[in-house]
Amino acid sequence: MTAAAISKVSGRDADFGAAPIALMLLVPITIVNLIGFVLPVANLAILSVSEVRSSGAMTGGWSMAKWLLVATDPFYWELLWNSVRTSLVITALTLAVSYPIALYLHRSTGLWRNALLVMVISPLLLSAVVRTYGWIAILSDQGLVNQGLMALGASEPVRLMFNLTGVTIGLTEILMPYMIVALLAGLGRLDPRVEEAAATLGAPPWRVFVRIVLPLSLPGIALGSLLTFVLAISSFITPKLLGGGRVFLLATEVYDQAMVTLDWPLAATLSIIVLLVFGVALALYGRILRSIG
Amino acid sequence: MMHQAPTDMTVAAAGPRAGQGYLSLQGLTKRYHDFLAVEAIDLDVAQGEFVALLGPSGCGKTTTLRMIAGLVPTSGGRIVVAGQDLTAVPPHKRDMGLVFQSYALFPHMTIAQNVAFGLEMRRLPRMEIAARVAEAVAMVRLEGREDRRPAQLSGGQQQRVALARALVVRPSILLFDEPLSNLDAKLREEMRSEIREIQQRLGTTALFVTHDQDEALTMSDRIVVMSHGRIEQIGRPEDLYERPATPFVARFVGRTNRFTGNAHGTTIRLGDLAVRAATQRSGPVEVMIRPHRVALAAAGCVPADGLNSVTGIVRRTTYSGDFVQYLVDADGLTFMVEEATVGHGRIAPAGTAVTLTWAPADTLVYEAAP
Repeated sequence: MTAAAISKVSGRDADFGAAPIALMLLVPITIVNLIGFVLPVANLAILSVSEVRSSGAMTGGWSMAKWLLVATDPFYWELLWNSVRTSLVITALTLAVSYPIALYLHRSTGLWRNALLVMVISPLLLSAVVRTYGWIAILSDQGLVNQGLMALGASEPVRLMFNLTGVTIGLTEILMPYMIVALLAGLGRLDPRVEEAAATLGAPPWRVFVRIVLPLSLPGIALGSLLTFVLAISSFITPKLLGGGRVFLLATEVYDQAMVTLDWPLAATLSIIVLLVFGVALALYGRILRSIG
Repeated sequence: MMHQAPTDMTVAAAGPRAGQGYLSLQGLTKRYHDFLAVEAIDLDVAQGEFVALLGPSGCGKTTTLRMIAGLVPTSGGRIVVAGQDLTAVPPHKRDMGLVFQSYALFPHMTIAQNVAFGLEMRRLPRMEIAARVAEAVAMVRLEGREDRRPAQLSGGQQQRVALARALVVRPSILLFDEPLSNLDAKLREEMRSEIREIQQRLGTTALFVTHDQDEALTMSDRIVVMSHGRIEQIGRPEDLYERPATPFVARFVGRTNRFTGNAHGTTIRLGDLAVRAATQRSGPVEVMIRPHRVALAAAGCVPADGLNSVTGIVRRTTYSGDFVQYLVDADGLTFMVEEATVGHGRIAPAGTAVTLTWAPADTLVYEAAP
């Protein structure tokens, strides 16, 4: 009998055999993550409590000044609230426009399905910068939308850029592929036979959707929403370009403080706050997953 | 080409007259592009009857069932239930219960919620829903498991939930799509009698799709044998087994000896052998003889008058408890013979010279396939 066959027969031996292999496979990624993620985050945490002179040079001492500033200045509270609210709106919009696409993709088969999948995922091949410029061409005062409106007799262009509207539209489109892919993964456990069973039991299509399809796709919705929210709150290129410096969000502020004002401790403090928001979102996701079983 | 029945006995058609059934399929057809999955099927099922659709995979039986449930659109023909044409009615308005091979329970609902679903769709009062769910759960012997999720139950229990869920709405017709195929052999036999007993107690009309001849034979009032989208034969289990209308039915239902030969009246030449049948025929024919219809005796025994008799040597003997199967070489042909084991009956070992006998009426003769 081969070793594999033996380990299949006795489950206890299999456990002993499998665990070290799984651990060994985890070693490289653990090392990469330590160097590439844990260390920089620790560095940020240290930076946020470092003392600096007004010139920006570090003294080597410690200071809670930036944390105090962030905690007491209403600007930063508003910044936090703005960012969370905008990201939530973007998440909700992305979910609303992605769900029908994901459901349709889930139901399609063969070549058509593959073609659609490529169409859904291919935007990710383009940098967000390029896609944002695309949106500028559409949303600006001389853009496609406003040209159309003017041709139809509008007297003044509608402001679609350099405000939250533009940022929301742009980020929603840019984040859709992530949401669709997450929803598709979640819809995988939706057996068409189960929908048929509901139909034969007297459920019209809309009740099949409400009672069967929607509840069974909740894990995908939760995962897609988490991904979209996290990506929305941490993105800064699109808010920067479509917001034109008039939209203040956490991520753009981190960039400004680090690259323009050169106040690294403040940038570090705000970064840690973004990280805390991630933590809250992740904890919430865990709770939702548990509650939907 | 149509095959003719091997005997001129009129098969007592136990079912209702054409077009008069509680469920009536009239010229039901399903076409996928160039492929005819179901070809103009006519079938009438009486109220309270249990009818099996039997056939190999791809014969169109499941497609037929799914058309009746409204899950597959028809390409032609009509589906009539209790005088009402349902052909264009969507599935949720057909009032049918469907039990799937994969159970298709709602994984996010408890057993009680699964069973209650159809009643909620019918907007029954809460009290009545609770009472009928309890009754249905008791009927399939799952009391105490109402609050479990489907994943926490065994396959057999899940299939009983699926049965309760379909039955609780008191459907006009109960449809089964190979419901026992995913269960192990012992459980399958238990479920057969359980389903049959519940169906008879409630008097529900049932259509049962299966590829398992034992299932069809033991459960059904009548069996519809299908092949390549067409009906080969409709009849009671004993009709199908004793008087198969076509070689296909003879092969598919039960084991059989199969030979090709030439008929001259009631005499048929099978190679060097001449056997007699009860029917007149001429030209090339296919001959089937059921193995348990052949009697085996020691060589030299004088057969009773009028019986076919062949001498041969036992090549292999297989004992399987309730019967013994012999392979006997006789004049270049191999006969399969099955004898029920009776007490301490003698079992002929390989190499024994034997005489095989059977009645001419048990020689089933069919026109040879072109």
